[in-house]
Amino acid sequence: MSDFAGMEDLMQDFLLESTELLSDVDNKLCELEKRPNDKALLNDIFRGFHTIKGGAGFLNVSAMVTICHRTENLFDKLRNGELPLSSELMDVILDATGVVRGMFTTLSQGLSPAAPDAGLLAALDSALAGNLASPAAPVAAPAATPAAAANTPDWNVLHAAVAKTETPAAAPAAVAVVAAPVVEAVVEAPAMPVAAAKPVPAKMAPQQGMASAPPENTIRIDTVRLDQVLNLSGEIGLTKNRLTTLRTEILQGNMETNTLRSLDEAISQLDLLVSDLQNAVMKTRMQPIGRLFQKYPRLARDLARQLGKEVELVITGEETELDKTMIEDLNDPLVHLVRNAVDHGVESSEERISVGKKPQSLVQLSAEQVGDHIVIEITDDGKGMNPEALRRKAIEKGLIDAETANGLDEKQCLQLIFLPGFSTKDQISNVSGRGVGMDVVRTNIQKLNGRIDINSEQGVGTRISISLPLTLAILPVLVVRACNQPFAVPLAMVREIIPIDVSAIQEVSGRPTIVVRDEILPLKTLANLLNWAPTQKPQFGVLMQSAEKSFILAVDSFVGRDDVVIKPLQNIRPKGVAGATLSGDGSVVLVLDMEDLLTGQADAQSGGAMMLRNADNYSY
Amino acid sequence: MIDKNMRFLVVDDFSTMRRIVRNLLKELGITNVDEAEDGQVALHKLKTQHFDFIVSDWNMPNMTGIELLRAVRADPQLKTLPFLMITAEAKRENIIEAATAGASGYIVKPFTAATLEEKMGKIFQSLNK
Repeated sequence: MSDFAGMEDLMQDFLLESTELLSDVDNKLCELEKRPNDKALLNDIFRGFHTIKGGAGFLNVSAMVTICHRTENLFDKLRNGELPLSSELMDVILDATGVVRGMFTTLSQGLSPAAPDAGLLAALDSALAGNLASPAAPVAAPAATPAAAANTPDWNVLHAAVAKTETPAAAPAAVAVVAAPVVEAVVEAPAMPVAAAKPVPAKMAPQQGMASAPPENTIRIDTVRLDQVLNLSGEIGLTKNRLTTLRTEILQGNMETNTLRSLDEAISQLDLLVSDLQNAVMKTRMQPIGRLFQKYPRLARDLARQLGKEVELVITGEETELDKTMIEDLNDPLVHLVRNAVDHGVESSEERISVGKKPQSLVQLSAEQVGDHIVIEITDDGKGMNPEALRRKAIEKGLIDAETANGLDEKQCLQLIFLPGFSTKDQISNVSGRGVGMDVVRTNIQKLNGRIDINSEQGVGTRISISLPLTLAILPVLVVRACNQPFAVPLAMVREIIPIDVSAIQEVSGRPTIVVRDEILPLKTLANLLNWAPTQKPQFGVLMQSAEKSFILAVDSFVGRDDVVIKPLQNIRPKGVAGATLSGDGSVVLVLDMEDLLTGQADAQSGGAMMLRNADNYSY
Repeated sequence: MIDKNMRFLVVDDFSTMRRIVRNLLKELGITNVDEAEDGQVALHKLKTQHFDFIVSDWNMPNMTGIELLRAVRADPQLKTLPFLMITAEAKRENIIEAATAGASGYIVKPFTAATLEEKMGKIFQSLNK
């Protein structure tokens, strides 16, 4: 049961808005470390906590009010120059934002968050009292019950006083009477056992970035975009009317050239409108990636501090837009990559100085739209990756055998980090390096029909690029035929189509291959991959490329390219099939998931590092 | 006692808060409500449209509630408009500041529809005197 029955809508709005606000506060906090005396920044942060507190008060989330109130007071003192900003103070504040974020997660599950940790409150209180001459009334957190009623006479008395005398000095006596019970009522409310107060552990919440909140199910859309959708659907309605009229005419036997030309025109227009509408609808789902990026400066900062490194995370292209579902699914991989860059990528300040680099390292996170793809890059200026070390490591861990390993070039060695169970650090830190990372990252990116690539130069740094389609809703495909049935393969993987000349097929270690422009590519027959009996000799080869392997997919013939909407298959999930779609003539076309198709095949073959070996014994 | 047809302007930078105030007003039967996300937007609306009552948050970017209040009181067209200030602080100096600047009323978050009604009632009482 929800603790907030009847308020779900309001709570949703509050959470959406305050979560953004809190991320913004987090970023401002990171900036504040660089410019501790920036009044505007202090003001903004103050206002952030103040606003969240106000909203939480109305929703009766007293635990959040308590913590925001203290933090807000702290910033009030900071902005008035009553308190200096120290790194200890900063840690306490960052912990507090972490706790508030945790409460958002609890709230989003419809539960009331527990009272904040007594230690944190004590730390906030002592910070508040810390450098003050008089620690009087430092923590007047408003109680959940509307304490507001108490100030009714307050206002009247004061207002009268001001209105008559124009000097505030006349009023204080009257005010003190009212103010006192307010404070009392409040001190009781949180009921914190002071005895339990303990110093806040320094590394309290390093993981909050990883905490996966349930996906948001509301979206905020620019009204201009929504109007566009409305407009286009109206136009489509008009065109439909036109077609209805034309149908009546044609059914009545009017087959004049003019009628048919009008029909042709109307259909062309419908065509145009539908694709415009698809685009417009897609745009309503597009969100700036900045919403995701804004969480990372804090993440990088916390991690760097924990590791004793100096790292600056520079973000560019946050306005780049991406499908909402993709943004959500990108979080975990990106968190991992940012962590990796800070943990493994860049060196400690001492190490950097010794090799003549600036002590502060730079991690860049950028997003950019390139054609119909979004490219996200994480670049660090650290020590880079050592292909030899990676190769040795993979052999040591038994992930690949020595023979395979020696056959890899430098670029392929870098790809080894994507193998399940690979981790370059001997010591497992609590930050990263459990070896669960990169293979999961790649799997997640591939699920989004994306690609991930690594470039690394020793001593200079590493760049990881992720390339993603703009949306998952519409997939450009190549329709091919095998066994007298059409299949669709994602166009993103297709490099070119070649006719298969039987005499060009060469056997390399018993596997059929074709040499295309000096590149030896394995030949895989679609019918065999599907375990179907071939009905004829394949005539065409589709040169396919995925993350690090290229191969030729042999098909009977091909139909052409198409933009399709994938419908997932309910209940059944045949191997290698991502879903189904309808072709123009109304027949069902299976959309193939090449990765799945190939992985299954490789697993059946042998145990280890098949993703690098292109193992393939299928007869052609 | 409160004319339900009065036109209200709710000023707050936090849209959730605007919605809360709107809901509370609705409970009191007041539905003719417009919103503004800060003092600047509010002032523009006040100068171009007719309003009967302003409910404004104190703490906002660009132009705060108190700055809006001063601007409203300084404008010959607007200076008699009832102005209810919302804040999270029950601090004496804040109340004095609001009163000095000419606020008609002062309400501390969080509040209920009943409190809001009572505050508005007081404001209209003093207006009709």
